[in-house]
Amino acid sequence: MNSRIKEHPILGKIEKGRRVTFSHDGNIIEGFEGEPISAALKAAGVMVHRHTQKYGAPRGIFCAIGRCTDCVMVVDGKPNIRTCITPLAEGMIVETQYGVSAKSTNKAEGMA
Amino acid sequence: MHNVNNRSRDIGEFVPAEDDELLICRCEEITKGEIRRAIHDGMFTLTEIRRYLRTGMGLCQGQTCGKLVKEIAARELGLVLSELGNASSRVPMRPIEMKVFGNEKEPGENA
Amino acid sequence: MKRYDLIVVGAGPAGLSAAVEAAKYGLKVVVFDENANPGGQLFKQVHKFFGSKEHKAKIRGFRIGSQLLEEANNLGVEVVLNATVAGLFQDKEITVRIKDSIQHYKGDAILVATGAAENMVPFKGWTLPGVIGAGAAQTMMNLHGVVPGQKILMLGSGNVGLVVSYQLLQAGCEVVALVDAAPKIGGYGVHAAKLARTGVPFYLSHTIIKAEGTDCVTGVTIAEVDKTWKTIPGTAKSLAVDTICLAVGLSPMAQLLKMAGCIMEDNPKKGGQVPVCNAYGETSLRGVFVAGDVSGVEEASSAMIEGRIAGIAAAEYLGYIDKAVLTEVAEALESALSSLRQGMFAVENRGKNIEKTDEGYVVSQHLLKKGYFQDAEVEKYPGVTRQPGVHAVIECSQNIPCNPCQDACPRHCIKIGDKITSLPVVDETANCSGCGMCVAACSGQAIFLVNEGYEAGYASITIPYEFLPLPGEGDRGWALDRGGSKVCAAEVVKVQTAPVFDHTSLLTIKVPVAMAMKARFFKEDNCHA
Repeated sequence: MNSRIKEHPILGKIEKGRRVTFSHDGNIIEGFEGEPISAALKAAGVMVHRHTQKYGAPRGIFCAIGRCTDCVMVVDGKPNIRTCITPLAEGMIVETQYGVSAKSTNKAEGMA
Repeated sequence: MHNVNNRSRDIGEFVPAEDDELLICRCEEITKGEIRRAIHDGMFTLTEIRRYLRTGMGLCQGQTCGKLVKEIAARELGLVLSELGNASSRVPMRPIEMKVFGNEKEPGENA
Repeated sequence: MKRYDLIVVGAGPAGLSAAVEAAKYGLKVVVFDENANPGGQLFKQVHKFFGSKEHKAKIRGFRIGSQLLEEANNLGVEVVLNATVAGLFQDKEITVRIKDSIQHYKGDAILVATGAAENMVPFKGWTLPGVIGAGAAQTMMNLHGVVPGQKILMLGSGNVGLVVSYQLLQAGCEVVALVDAAPKIGGYGVHAAKLARTGVPFYLSHTIIKAEGTDCVTGVTIAEVDKTWKTIPGTAKSLAVDTICLAVGLSPMAQLLKMAGCIMEDNPKKGGQVPVCNAYGETSLRGVFVAGDVSGVEEASSAMIEGRIAGIAAAEYLGYIDKAVLTEVAEALESALSSLRQGMFAVENRGKNIEKTDEGYVVSQHLLKKGYFQDAEVEKYPGVTRQPGVHAVIECSQNIPCNPCQDACPRHCIKIGDKITSLPVVDETANCSGCGMCVAACSGQAIFLVNEGYEAGYASITIPYEFLPLPGEGDRGWALDRGGSKVCAAEVVKVQTAPVFDHTSLLTIKVPVAMAMKARFFKEDNCHA
C-alpha cells in the first residue's frame, strides 16, 4: 500500500522538501522535510497517533488542519504536539501519546 | 425565550436510550448519556453543561462537539436551537499555553 | 501596539479579496491567518469553479488562490501566517499569537473572515482512526500528496461530499459508496453525475450504523432510513472500507464576533450563529465588518465578492472614499452577488423540493436519487439535441449559477442568455466545429461531443477526462453509461490535451451508433492492455 500520490492529474508532481529520517516509537521512518509529521506517518502506514486518557481509545488524523487535536503525539519529548500542522524535521523523535505522555514516561511515573 | 431560564419547568424523567454510550466530546470523552443526564441534573444552558461536564473544554475548545452538544441539549429541553443560544465565547479563541498567553519571560530574558 | 487602517482576520477568499480591495484605495492593511498557508480552502480546490466568467468561473480554485495572493502582495498587503487571532476586543484591538508570544494590534477598521468549520456526525466507532473530515481528505491529498486511504466511504451528498469524492478518485482512491440520510442528493446534479458514470454507487436515505475495527477502520455498516430518519430493520449492509469521510455541512466560525459584542442571530439557512450585518458586511459594531462563510455559509465565489464589497466599505468608513463611490462600486458587485444567489440551490430554496426548472423542465428524480439520468429523460433538456454530424450534448438540467460554456463556444452554438442560472440551450442552426472548447470549459463536466455519423455503424463521443493514466489513441476498453455500467466495447480514437483546456483532457471514443446517447465514460480494459 502506498499512500503517496506519484503524479496528480491536475497538480502534476507534488513538490516536497528533501528526504529525511525520523523515529516513530523507536522505528526509523523516512519522510520529507517540512511536510506535516502526520503526512509522513500516514505514508508509512501509521494510523494510531495516541490513546486517550480516559478510555485508552485509539485516535488518529481527524481534521488535518490543527483544529481537532486528535492527532497529537509526543514529539521530541513534548506532548500534545499537533502532528498534522507540525513540520517534519530530520531526526525528530515521535512517540505515540498515552493520555498526556509517552508510554515510557507513564512507566516511570508508575514506579516513582 | 422566557422558557429557557425557567429552572422549575418539567422536562420529564431521564429515559435511558440505546445510543447513550455514543461519545460526543472527543477531547474530554463525554458521552451522549452523560450530557442528557446532566440536563436532568438541572444544567439547562450550554455554559452550565460545559462547566459541569467539561464538554468543549478540552484541547479543541469545542470545535468538534459544540454543535452536537447544542443539538442534544435542545432536543432534551424541547427547545429549538436558536432559543438555546450558544455558550459564551472567550479569549483565547484557541488553546494557548499560559506561558505564552502571559508573555512570560525566562529568568534573565529582557522584558 | 502596532496600528493599521484595516486588520483582516483570515486569509481565505473573502479576507484576501477584502484586503486587496481596501489596499487599492490606499488603506494600510494586514491580514492574519492561523494556518501555515494562505488562501483558506482555495489551495485544496483542484476543480474548476462555477459562476460567471467575470468572477473567475472555470478557473481552478488553487489558481484563484495564487492570483489573489499575488494581487495582495503587489498592493503591499502584509499577510502574516501562523498568526492566531486569540481575541477581538472593544475599540478594535486584537491579540494575536505569533510564534511563542502574544502581540497586540489595533485596527481603525476590522474585517473578520474566519470562514467556517466542518460539522461532524457521531456514530458508533466515529473516533476510530480512519474516520476523517472531508476537509482532512482534501488537505492530505491536495496539499500534502498523501491519500487518506484506499477504499473510501463518503457521508454527505452536498457539493463538498461530491467534489471531494471526485478528488479522491483523481488521487487514485476507490470511492466505495456515497451515503446520505437525505432522500435526495444535496449538491449539484452535474457533480453527482461525474461520480456516477465512473461507477460510484449512491446510497440515499442511508445512514452509518457503525464504523468497524479495533485500532482503525476496517469496515462500515450502513442501513436504510425511513422518512423519520429511523433505520429500517433488515436493511443493514457491510462494506469493506479503510476510510470514512464526513461531509455533513459547515458552520460559521463567528466566535470572535460574539466575543467582541456584535449582535448575533441564529440562522439555520446561514449554517448557524452569525453576526447581523448590513449589505456591506458591517456588523452592529461600527467599523467591524464580516465577509465570506463567517457571515453565512456559501460558495467561495460569493465569498470573494462579499470580501470586495466589505473592503470597499471599510475604505469608505475610514474616509478614503466618498459614499457615492462606495454606492456605485458596491452596486455592480451586489448585482453580481445576487446573480450567484439565484437558482434552485439559492439559500432560500434550501430544504425545498423543487420539481421543475425556471423554464418548466421536470427535474429528474433519478438524478437526485442515483446521481444520473435515465436514458429517456436526458433528451428533454434544451442542451441535448440529436443532429447529424458532430455537436455538443449538454446534460445540464438544474438552474445553477454558471455560464462559461456560453463564452467557450467560438461559433456561438451555446446560449444561456443574461440570466446566469438558465439552462444552456444548444442552437441547432449554429455550426459546431467539434473543437471541444465547451467540453473543457464546463466546470460540471456535463458537456459531451457526439457524432452519430462518425463512420458507418459507429458514433464518436468526446468526454472530459481528468484521471491518470491518460489512455492513448488506439486503446481499447469499455464504454460506461451514466450509471457506470459497462454497455459496450469502445476504442479511443483521439486524445486532446492543450494548455487552454487546463488539465481537462478530451477523450474521443468510438462506440456502436446505438450507444451514442448512452456511453458517457471510458474504462481501459487492463486485461487486454
